[in-house]
Amino acid sequence: MSSVKISNLEKAYGNVKVLHRLNLDVEDGRFVVLLGPSGCGKSTLLRMIAGLESVTGGDILFDDKRVNDVHAKDRNIAMVFQNYALYAHMTVRKNMAFSMRLNKTDKKTMDEKVNWASSILGLDEYLDRLPKELSGGQRQRVAMGRAIVRDPDVFLFDEPLSNLDAKLRVQMRTEIKDLHQRLKTTTVYVTHDQIEAMTMADEVVVMRGGYIEQSGTPMEIYDNPNNLFVAQFIGSPSMNILKCEVQQNNGAQSAVIGDTHFPLPTNSSLQVGQIIHYGIRPEHFHVSTQAQHGSIVGTVKVVEPTGPETHVYLNIAEHSLCAITRDRIELRPGDAIHLQPDLGHVHLFDGDTSNAI
Amino acid sequence: MSSATIKSTARYVVAIVTVAIFVFPIAWFALTSIKPISAIFNKDRVVVFDFKPTFDNYKVTVLGGRKSDSTKNSSILMGTSGDGAYDGRGSIMSSIIIATCSTILATVISLLAAYALSRLSFRGAQGYMHWILSQRFLPPVAIIIPLVFIFRDLGLRDTHLGIIIAHTLINIPIALLILKSFFDDVPIEVDQAAMIDGATRFQCFYMVVVPMIKGGIAATAVLCFIFSWTEFLLSLFLTNSIRTVPVKITTFVTSTGSEWGYISALGTAAIIPGFIFILLVQNHLVRGLTMGAIKD
Repeated sequence: MSSVKISNLEKAYGNVKVLHRLNLDVEDGRFVVLLGPSGCGKSTLLRMIAGLESVTGGDILFDDKRVNDVHAKDRNIAMVFQNYALYAHMTVRKNMAFSMRLNKTDKKTMDEKVNWASSILGLDEYLDRLPKELSGGQRQRVAMGRAIVRDPDVFLFDEPLSNLDAKLRVQMRTEIKDLHQRLKTTTVYVTHDQIEAMTMADEVVVMRGGYIEQSGTPMEIYDNPNNLFVAQFIGSPSMNILKCEVQQNNGAQSAVIGDTHFPLPTNSSLQVGQIIHYGIRPEHFHVSTQAQHGSIVGTVKVVEPTGPETHVYLNIAEHSLCAITRDRIELRPGDAIHLQPDLGHVHLFDGDTSNAI
Repeated sequence: MSSATIKSTARYVVAIVTVAIFVFPIAWFALTSIKPISAIFNKDRVVVFDFKPTFDNYKVTVLGGRKSDSTKNSSILMGTSGDGAYDGRGSIMSSIIIATCSTILATVISLLAAYALSRLSFRGAQGYMHWILSQRFLPPVAIIIPLVFIFRDLGLRDTHLGIIIAHTLINIPIALLILKSFFDDVPIEVDQAAMIDGATRFQCFYMVVVPMIKGGIAATAVLCFIFSWTEFLLSLFLTNSIRTVPVKITTFVTSTGSEWGYISALGTAAIIPGFIFILLVQNHLVRGLTMGAIKD
């Protein structure tokens, strides 16, 4: 196992810069998820760590040793690809033993390791099958088996679950996390699925346009997003954002959009007339059918019961919002609905820079 | 009759007719090869089955028998009188050597080149592909005269090696294009996975990617073999004494008549090595070997 340090890392294809002086520390044994939309550079970063892409500038260090010019095969890493990339002409056993065959491991050790990996991954009965005789989930497990038999210093996962169906994805998510807890190998995992990031990571690194927007534990990122992008990217349904103007009313400040006044936390240091983005997550509204002191009125558009909670999509001042309630409230489209924002969970972002205030 | 039965009957009828159209010339050829000369050259009617089969034509062309022995009772006399003129054994051997060697050479060279073109990016790769393809734009007859001189000066004319090189060069562009498309079908992640597993680029090539495109290699080899086996023009111009089967057969068309019996016997016999070669590789002639490597 080893730590991974990224220092001022840059990547450019010709004149096009895709990664801009990135810095990142992955401590030994941590599970770090690189999260971001398509084209944000997360896969490129992973492939640079793997040694599959050259480094334009900066350094990659494994245990403080610079590996920029070390070939992928000599980095002692293991990688699981989105499309599995199995060796189609080899049986499951041979797929998993391939790396050991290359470094001339003796047969006994090879068999032991393959059997150990297959028992962990539940592949015992498929060892002599070809990949084409396996289901998608089983193939993904073979790809993981191929990675773990090597006892690598670093595990790299490149969107490994995005080809699986929803149910299998949830199951594999748990399996990968369980595997990490057992093996405690440093892991860098790339995904665009924020649920995967939240559920699996020790640390989430949110990327956009070749920059790291924020990194931290999943809850830090969820509770204290640095900027508007992170706020909206993390969480499903995503955070409600309204562009408002700060006004002074009856001695208290409020964020105003149209005729609607959203209460502001008393400790916020805002100036009257300042333009801000007012952010609040759907679960931080108190939802009621009765008007209450300081509540905001909206009109119900769509109601989505999920079982444990109900998602209510509504309109306030011609803006769409979402609120989540765990109460059993009878709501129909067109009904009036009263919302009370939980002031302890209101996020404010600068109107110009979009950074958290 | 239900419409499904009509459909399936129609399918069979079309299949049988199509096969019959393609097989008929070969069958007629094979039939002619076992006809006595009197049945072949019957002026009054077409003899189909009512003849006494004879293997004289085979004896002369592939077993080294003497023409004079097989024609002594015949009233029809034509062609060359020399006994060795119709012995096709040397030609069959030459064709086997040339077709096999040029197939192996063309396939191996194309395999390496196609992998490089599929996997490595370099300046002008696209133009290079077009240049390779352009090698097939000219018909061989357009370059035959300079080629004869070049081969003569290099001492390659009338040698097996000369024809092998010529056939290899003609086959490489097509073989390369076909193999490149098979390599392109194998996702690059497979190479990368192998390299992360510790393989060198060459190990990745021969241990992982090549076995995954076995079917494509077999198909390419069959194409190269058939081309070389049936190629006429280059073989005709670049040889004097070494005669491949197609060239040899043309010598049976003489100023005093065409030896249809010998032509058909050697022609039929010449099908057999190609047939055996295809039988050997046909198990690999399936696409979809990459199935299972990736999410389908």
